[in-house]
Amino acid sequence: MSEVNVNINVHHVTRVEGHGDIVVDVKNGEIKKCQFEVVEAPRFFEAFVRGRPYYELSHITSRICGICSVGHATASLRATENALGVELSEQTVLLRKLIFHGEIIDSHVLHTYYLVAPDLLGVNSVIPLIETHRPVVERALRIKKLSGDLCAMIGGRHTHPCAMAVGGFTHLPTEAELREMKGRLEAAREDMVATIALFATLPWPEFERETEYVSLKKDEEYAFIDGTITSTDGFSYPIDEYRKVTNEWCVPFSTAKWTKHNRESYMVGALARFNNNFDQLHPKAKEAAAKLGMKPICTNTFLNTAAQAVEMVHSVEDSIEIIDQLLTRGIKSEKPPEVNLNGGGEGVGSCDVPRGILFHNYVYDENGICTQANCIIPTNQNWANVNADMKAYLPQILDKPEDEIRLHLEMLVRAYDPCISCSTHLLNVTFV
Amino acid sequence: MQGSVLVLGLGNPLRGDDGVGPRIVEELERRELPEDVTAMDVGTAGLDLLHLLEGCDRAIVVDAADVGLKPGQFVRFTPDEARLAQNSDGLSFHQVGLSGVLSLANALEHALPEIVIFGVQPTEIDWKEGLSPAVEATIPKLIEVLIEEIEAQL
Repeated sequence: MSEVNVNINVHHVTRVEGHGDIVVDVKNGEIKKCQFEVVEAPRFFEAFVRGRPYYELSHITSRICGICSVGHATASLRATENALGVELSEQTVLLRKLIFHGEIIDSHVLHTYYLVAPDLLGVNSVIPLIETHRPVVERALRIKKLSGDLCAMIGGRHTHPCAMAVGGFTHLPTEAELREMKGRLEAAREDMVATIALFATLPWPEFERETEYVSLKKDEEYAFIDGTITSTDGFSYPIDEYRKVTNEWCVPFSTAKWTKHNRESYMVGALARFNNNFDQLHPKAKEAAAKLGMKPICTNTFLNTAAQAVEMVHSVEDSIEIIDQLLTRGIKSEKPPEVNLNGGGEGVGSCDVPRGILFHNYVYDENGICTQANCIIPTNQNWANVNADMKAYLPQILDKPEDEIRLHLEMLVRAYDPCISCSTHLLNVTFV
Repeated sequence: MQGSVLVLGLGNPLRGDDGVGPRIVEELERRELPEDVTAMDVGTAGLDLLHLLEGCDRAIVVDAADVGLKPGQFVRFTPDEARLAQNSDGLSFHQVGLSGVLSLANALEHALPEIVIFGVQPTEIDWKEGLSPAVEATIPKLIEVLIEEIEAQL
């Protein structure tokens, strides 16, 4: 009979985007409670978009998250375009893929370097890393600046892609801007090599728990925008049938809805994409995965962060190829097409955003006004899996000191890169 | 004085009074701003702020802030005059934005431009669109003061 007693109450896990609490109660070696309680969640979505015209929705929804603004805008636009039957030009498709890569890099560099690397290097934030690993921090800043500039070049503005519109773009990058960006992306290859080298040396915690991995899938490319919903349990659905996967339900200790499909939980995000779509990764990204010792199906949740590093390599390489295609075709001064409302309709848009698969679903009336809306964010789809992971991981680390248990559980939650309240920010000021 | 002035409106218009920064930028964009002055709605930008700040000579930041005043009142201060609250780890990218970026720049010894912050006391920060009456009522005065600040900086 073990005499282990642990009582952990971590309020507001730091370095996650939002608020969530870890609660653990172990008495005499028996786990009485082990859960992640979400205390805040966006349940406001429909209220913001109901009654608004179709052309405003992507601009409203891109404000949900300061990090995934391109992802929300893209999923929103795809839902509207599917509802109203809007076709996209080849140039629009390429530019959307390019800005999406910008956001993948932007979000992943933040999570891998600023939020996870400090844990693995034994410090509590990026600030002490400046003393010990200055080139690492400088490199992260360089990558962040590159991805921010890539998003701004196409989206027209930092953090909010105001140029993204139904059917196309209201502002286009010039060929000179694209050429300059290509040069910077090529120069960033060195930083990508260094990134993989760094993460290959870090001590990832050992923890294997098989689960169902859900992501988008396309035959022709590593899927970020559109495709079919795919699971490692062998299921496949058109995106219109997303509710067959998400099956939302409520739990008493969380204000966020949970989801489940074939098992009690599933996981979305970079690791899910890696596991479903490894074959479509760029060869350099596959090499990176090999250096990190990863191959599908990888079942160590902590390696979601490593999968993000692999995706950064992929996104840099694919961005270069997309820019080549755009330059070969030449940028055409297209305007978004006229939208024919056709009596309105319903549409679903899905993207695999940095944190995982995202769904927007709208119904429009004959005047193009939104009458119903639904949005399921990746983080909500991960909650059940986070809790299942915590319950499986805790017994493996119960012999460690309480502080270490706490840290490891926090690291486990952070591995999901969760976004909980999505972009609140109030400056608290004390005058000195 | 000369050089470029960047007016940054921080905040999320979907979070009630948190949207005061973007709202101010919207108001400024309706006016003819002097050359070399750019007003930018940066929403809930985190680390991007660092690169934006590094690219200008002077910056004026407008943000909802708990400055211990009545709702709608605002105060002008510089980063040196205030301690901006941070999470215990010193650099989460959730609430901090500006304070995280300033401490990171400081630790890296990166030179930043002169920064002036206008903190507006919110009535409420919650998931809803639109400013509260108290913050709405302060907009004309805040614009007036900001224009003076911009002119003084040019």
